[in-house]
Amino acid sequence: MFGFGRPQPTSAEKIAAIENELKVVAEMHSRMIKVCSAKCLDKTYREGELSKGEAVCLDRCAAKFFEAHQIISDQLQKEGAARGFGGGM
Amino acid sequence: MEGLTPAEQRELDQRLQKRQVKEFMTVFGNLVDNCFNACVDDFTSKVLSGRETGCISRCVIKSMTTQARLGERFAELNAAMTAEMQQKMSR
Repeated sequence: MFGFGRPQPTSAEKIAAIENELKVVAEMHSRMIKVCSAKCLDKTYREGELSKGEAVCLDRCAAKFFEAHQIISDQLQKEGAARGFGGGM
Repeated sequence: MEGLTPAEQRELDQRLQKRQVKEFMTVFGNLVDNCFNACVDDFTSKVLSGRETGCISRCVIKSMTTQARLGERFAELNAAMTAEMQQKMSR
């Protein structure tokens, strides 16, 4: 059987797909905040304001976080394919 | 992905709103845990000391500023990553 005339996704499926995509993004956002706060902020909270150093650290941490995410994602895909697992990130 | 009908859009908006409320509660909870852990460690009293309340206050402010800043960075980086992925896929 050839695949033309694929069934259209139902309403529920469409909504779930969008919601899920947003969930993935939100989780990444949340993890980045956790990780970069831990690495960059003064834990004694002597000041309420972000120091220049902390601010710059946060910016760089965010950029590195994304890069690391990409590298790991790509590598997992490659390793997964080599070992016979499918699926992307 | 095809567009959504108005009814579907409403359903999605409702779900996202629900999610946002849940997420806010999580953020709030994490904030309490984090600032408590960082600031409170003197149990010779059952009342927070001035030092501790000051620390908690600063912790909240700093956490919110951090979230705002990282929120901006995230949006920029996410947009860049998405653009790059789309480029790769259209080759």
